[in-house]
Amino acid sequence: MSTPALFEAKNICKYFGGLKAVQQVDMTIERGDIYGIIGPNGAGKTTFFNACSGIDKPTKGHVYLEGEEITHLAPEQIAKKGMARTFQNIKLFRYMSVLENVKIGFHNQLKSTLFDAILHTKTYKQDEAFAAERGEQIIEQVGLGPFRDTLAGNLPYGVQRKVEIARALALDPKIILLDEPAAGMNPSETHNLMKFIKDLNAQGYTIAVIEHDMKFVMNACNKILVLNFGQKISEGGPSEVQQDSKVIEAYFGKGSFTEEGRHGNA
Amino acid sequence: MKRTSDSKWVTPAMLIASYKKSPQAQAIERFYHKHRTVLMLILIAFLCIFPFFTNKSYVLGVICRIFLYSILAGALNTINGYSGQFCLGIAGFFCVGAYSEAILATAAKMNFWVILPIAGLLTAAIGLLVALPTLKMQGIYLAIVTLGFSEIARLIALNWTSLTGGPMGIKGIPVPVIFGFAIRSTRHFYYLYLAVAILFLVVTSRVIRSRIGRAWMSIREDQLAAKSLGVYTSRYKALNFMYGAFWAGIAGAIYAPYVRFIDSTYFTLDEGWNILSMMIIGGQGTLVGPIVGSVIVNYLTELLRPIGQWRLVAYALLIIVMMWWRPQGLAGASNSIVAVKGDTKLRKNSPRKEVQA
Amino acid sequence: MDYFLNQLINGICQGAIYALMAIGYSVVVGVVGMVTFTHGEVIMIGAFAAYYMFFLSGNQILLGLVVSFLASGVLGYFVYKVCYERFFNAPRHVSLLCTIGFSMLIKNLGQIIFGPNQKPMLDVVQQNFFKIGVVQISQLQIVIILTVVIMASLLSIVFNKTKFGIMLKAVSQDKTASYMVGIDVKKVAMLGNCLGCGLGGIAGLLLAIYYQTLQATMGGPLGMKAFASSVLGGLTDVRFSALGGLCIGIIENLGITISSASFRDMFAFGFLILVLIIRPQGFVSKKGAKV
Repeated sequence: MSTPALFEAKNICKYFGGLKAVQQVDMTIERGDIYGIIGPNGAGKTTFFNACSGIDKPTKGHVYLEGEEITHLAPEQIAKKGMARTFQNIKLFRYMSVLENVKIGFHNQLKSTLFDAILHTKTYKQDEAFAAERGEQIIEQVGLGPFRDTLAGNLPYGVQRKVEIARALALDPKIILLDEPAAGMNPSETHNLMKFIKDLNAQGYTIAVIEHDMKFVMNACNKILVLNFGQKISEGGPSEVQQDSKVIEAYFGKGSFTEEGRHGNA
Repeated sequence: MKRTSDSKWVTPAMLIASYKKSPQAQAIERFYHKHRTVLMLILIAFLCIFPFFTNKSYVLGVICRIFLYSILAGALNTINGYSGQFCLGIAGFFCVGAYSEAILATAAKMNFWVILPIAGLLTAAIGLLVALPTLKMQGIYLAIVTLGFSEIARLIALNWTSLTGGPMGIKGIPVPVIFGFAIRSTRHFYYLYLAVAILFLVVTSRVIRSRIGRAWMSIREDQLAAKSLGVYTSRYKALNFMYGAFWAGIAGAIYAPYVRFIDSTYFTLDEGWNILSMMIIGGQGTLVGPIVGSVIVNYLTELLRPIGQWRLVAYALLIIVMMWWRPQGLAGASNSIVAVKGDTKLRKNSPRKEVQA
Repeated sequence: MDYFLNQLINGICQGAIYALMAIGYSVVVGVVGMVTFTHGEVIMIGAFAAYYMFFLSGNQILLGLVVSFLASGVLGYFVYKVCYERFFNAPRHVSLLCTIGFSMLIKNLGQIIFGPNQKPMLDVVQQNFFKIGVVQISQLQIVIILTVVIMASLLSIVFNKTKFGIMLKAVSQDKTASYMVGIDVKKVAMLGNCLGCGLGGIAGLLLAIYYQTLQATMGGPLGMKAFASSVLGGLTDVRFSALGGLCIGIIENLGITISSASFRDMFAFGFLILVLIIRPQGFVSKKGAKV
């Protein structure tokens, strides 16, 4: 128990002037988790994610990856340390092909310098071979084979999500942060995505995911964090969280409801 | 069957295909890919023997200009077209390179071949100096600052009389000598310029097809996404500026001994607009785009010489037409954000939200 | 000391003209939502329009103001049609490059039509000087400063008290929301652009009268100065842009007393760098154009 957790966020606060978007949120993710973050709209989930991944610096609090503090590092430094993330509104390189998108993910694993590139040294050749091979591997692994050369922006929404995740995999990450991956998807696409993420987890990837889709979260995640108004209101396994009255109140409001109503959820 | 977009080596056939996707275009593309190296060598061989078909140094002079401006427009394209940074100050780097060569050759009497890399590296260092304060700037801010740099370079050349000869410039720049042979006539410079242009193309193509080139292109397409994938955008932007500045400096260093006399009037803003036009008309984001631009603009300059200043009007109209019809330029990168017009067929997010100008 | 104060007065007068240029620029950028390289040429055309009109019907300054406003406004309409209208949903570099092309077009056409050389401007204001204590101010300078103040006040009235002005403000803040409340966004953007260009035209006339000269190539540095002034206002805030223009005018006039005249335009550039280093987004808090 003395090895540090894979990812730890302690006392994260993010204030925008007078607005306390995130207040004193703690999160601990162990290796192999699929960790879900849920909460009503505006609860501060994406702000919290941004504070954890270097896009926004937290006003207070600390973030640790494998015991190392990463709170004030730039996004590119955090990516280099092994945290990959996707974005709510899919930030693909829309005018590049799927393969090219994935190849950019290899950036930190390759070693060529300007001179290696100009002189086509052994390092360069190894790099390019690696990028080509591993790129194909990841594309097959994710099931994007037929779309290899298609411009990313021309793909259907569900496939674009997969490309974003494939690109994140190219980082060989220790942890992947997914921000509302099922947004805009129909039930069958969501189901496929959920299977896909569980598969990834089975292959050894640790995943943290923000999601609204309850079926997704309750079925895929083994730990859940619930936020409301920027504060943590519950944490635990799916069944604990489902029964927590504070969570129910946050989603459905105070007020009485019948026994049938309560057990009819999810 | 498909080799469409694995690398950014855009072939002429791909360009044709980007205009119309006919079976003929695909057939041409296949043929080209199979015989690419041979075709290149044939072209180079043709360019090598071409001077023997003409005695007019005027014609050779125009082609020299085409080669020179291929390098300049190409250097600008590396900055604007590949990494998406909006640089308008290439004339300033051209100026630094030319003056470096001129000063070192006349005052320090150094050998041309020693000066050449020094001039390039000096200009690259200046490129770094310009890049550092501008790394966080985007769009028009970066454009105006680089424009200002270009003017500063010119003003320094104009006013620092002890170093640059001030308004009187530097004259009597010696010609390069190689193994005792003096490169004096236009025909000699033709071969020098051809060699440097080929060198530029080969080196740049290798850099573009490496992780560095991919990093640059990722910055162009979406800087935040690039950062979240571990690309140290500031470093690569600075490297990119230095690379473009280096080659513009080399172009300046081979220009000075050709004209034998330089002063600050050779490096005005108009020169910068000239080079920019070539890149815009010919194409951004590809290796062949700037060459096409250089050919077109320099050819038109000669063709339209009788109409004087109207040819500048013609270039301006061409720029506008390009932006309306084909923003990436005639031979530019169709698979990139530089090609987006706004009636884009892509779904979801409109380009306006994603792009930095 | 006297010399310094007099240069200060010169700086304020010059700064007033720059302020007007900057006001026009920030109106255009704010309403259209795209940055432009054409403002320098718009200013130039205003000056030349008045110049030629003076030949035809005498040196009436009021007429000159109207003509320069209208000429630049009309040019603004063409800029809008060519460089802005079709690029509302395109990446910003496309419209920017288009404005670069357009400004090259006007600049070279101007040199062809008007000739490339400097032309002496006709007198429109009497050369009287007034002494206030140790400083001397000319009638011309008073006229210029007054004109700018009046223009700025008129603009303020338009923005705050007319329906059109409120539509302008709405369009510059959020085009989609404006569209949804029934504003004809394209038309308002076009008119706002023409208004800003018209103000630029007046600034061009004032410059020509002040320096008693005009030239077809004057647009370039002027556009840069308009931009440098507006950076203080985040490119879209009219008041801070005007302040920026005033600052640049004063700095320039004080600066050339200690350095060579060819560095004149560098002061504006230095001001620009300073602002971009200290506060890149300008001194505004409200949302402006996307750059």
